[in-house]
Amino acid sequence: MTDPDDDALLEAVAGAWRERDAYGAVRSHPAWHDLDAKGRDEAWARAAQSRKIEAALDPDGLSTTVRALLSRIRAPR
Amino acid sequence: MDLDAHLPHIVAGDADAFGRWASAAEQELRVSLRPFAAAADCEAVLQEALLRVWQVAPRFEPDGRPNALLRFTVRVARNLALGEARRMRSAHLDEEALDRAHYEASGPAPAGADPWLRQVIAACRDELPEKPALALGERLRGGGCEPDETLAARLGMRANTFLQNVTRARKLLAECLSRRGINLEAEWR
Repeated sequence: MTDPDDDALLEAVAGAWRERDAYGAVRSHPAWHDLDAKGRDEAWARAAQSRKIEAALDPDGLSTTVRALLSRIRAPR
Repeated sequence: MDLDAHLPHIVAGDADAFGRWASAAEQELRVSLRPFAAAADCEAVLQEALLRVWQVAPRFEPDGRPNALLRFTVRVARNLALGEARRMRSAHLDEEALDRAHYEASGPAPAGADPWLRQVIAACRDELPEKPALALGERLRGGGCEPDETLAARLGMRANTFLQNVTRARKLLAECLSRRGINLEAEWR
């Protein structure tokens, strides 16, 4: 059984939201650094599962990763 | 399926076409990064790789083989992941093992757009208890553009409670799908 705090970290990392640095590059999720190797692999698997679910539930078939990408591409410079 | 069918539109600067291409390529790209999961944040790497490919797409020249843009993006993403892991001096980076795990994109399975799968997942979503359903819905509405703290605040939840509800929603959906003979993890477990 996963500790609830660790579980929250895993779920946060499994989400698609990521900060940008001063040059606009996508930064690692702050919580990713707090996970051990096993936790990082689990976060990868949760993300893969979540993106499939999101794409299936989205009217245009887009995951939140692709939504974040398009939002970035279309943002005024 | 050759995703390069989208290429003429992408090269012409059509963001919607790039979105459709990225949507079809996403799973294959994500799986290609799995060997780096312990050494780099693969979600950040994937998003950055897609942004960079969009920026160079107008100058992209396909090599004549199917899925040229996908194979190019796999290389961009893996190079980014390797660079990120080296930058952080990751203890989880076994470069020899990564070389052995050389990845060649085989072309994406068209599973993501399967109307039947969409219908089943939507039916399972409709069975979710209220709070997990709200949390999942808010993640979808956020579209990866807002931190969980912001999404949680909109629902009047603490961030940890929100994340627990997202976890619960995902687990309940997976159980519901499993009862219908669908295992979303079969492609990468």
